[in-house]
Amino acid sequence: MRVVNHHPKTETLADFSAGRLDEARSVVIATHVATCAQCSQAVSGFEALGGLCLEEVAPVAMASDALEKILARADAGANIVAPHHDSSARLEKQLPLSAYLEGSLDDVNWRRVAPGMSQSVIEAQGYREGVLRLLKIAPGTRMPKHTHEGEELTLILRGAYEDEIGEFSVGDLADLGDKHTHSPKAIGDEPCICLIATAAPLNFKTLTGKLVQPFIGL
Amino acid sequence: MQDCLLRVAENGDRRAFAELYAYFAPRVKGFLMRGGASPEEAEDLAQDAMVKVLRKAKLFDPAKASASTWIFTIARNARIDAIRRASRGALDPDEPALMPEESPRADHICELNDQSARIKKAVGSLPPEQLEVMRLHFYEDEPHSVIAERLDLPLGTVKSRLRLAFEKVRKEIGDLS
Repeated sequence: MRVVNHHPKTETLADFSAGRLDEARSVVIATHVATCAQCSQAVSGFEALGGLCLEEVAPVAMASDALEKILARADAGANIVAPHHDSSARLEKQLPLSAYLEGSLDDVNWRRVAPGMSQSVIEAQGYREGVLRLLKIAPGTRMPKHTHEGEELTLILRGAYEDEIGEFSVGDLADLGDKHTHSPKAIGDEPCICLIATAAPLNFKTLTGKLVQPFIGL
Repeated sequence: MQDCLLRVAENGDRRAFAELYAYFAPRVKGFLMRGGASPEEAEDLAQDAMVKVLRKAKLFDPAKASASTWIFTIARNARIDAIRRASRGALDPDEPALMPEESPRADHICELNDQSARIKKAVGSLPPEQLEVMRLHFYEDEPHSVIAERLDLPLGTVKSRLRLAFEKVRKEIGDLS
């Protein structure tokens, strides 16, 4: 098992457990949680908290024919069996991310956005606003220094990068808050592929960044 | 309630399900209405959730979650599905759940009753002002800024109270491992 050094913030895990995150960020968090024992445990705890809230809430009477309808609907459909979990080592094979990808990361249709950087936007905006995308950074490439206007979650799927915070490798998650400024650089021999959920457009600091921004399309 | 759910899982016991329904359906409805759903929406979603409870009962694992926790996650996901359905216009019923309901970590299962009791105790010992923002966070589908407005507090205060409350609860969970 790989060693995960960077985790989501406790508040982010609590938001996720309460069903408060947008779809893009939920996918990133769920994919991290699927392989991180520590965060999985925290989510279970927050869900237990949700269970206690459910017990304590004031009940509201259901329609008189509701039970009958529910039984009829349940009879009409087949019972659901456990979803299949691919236990292969590749992080992208984990649910829920695998449901959003057609094939593996080798089959992604990349669009070049800047020297050494390409990306692929994933359709995942049905549940509130948020942008989900894959970003591939060639080894040695440094992204322009930029500031985030909103929350951003970055999960490393392949390779590694380093920034002002430290080194991030497969399974690590960077949970960056508002106004955070950084300039990540891909390290190692293979391209660094990240899954990124951005709640708001990036705001590049330098001129190069400003020039690059429209092409990245965020 | 857990016994009822296990009986439903075992042989689809309708009487056990009726008992579960009588306790949980009105609470799921109440929970969704506190989250801003209209009575009609909450009724429909509570029915959706209870259909799922019946059909997915076999997936319930008492070693991993209590009945109320499991039903909370079903209701939460039913709500998320409904929002996605509304904005996308269609939903594949076989689409994998956004959040895995199965934890891959069999090695980290702790004594659940103990966990519930300790979380309850941790929540009970929170200062009232932290408890208040945490409840609003779980019940209401409002941004933190709206919670702040309603409580007439600065946004930063709401955020820091939530953080303190979550950290405390999380510490209780962590101490169990």
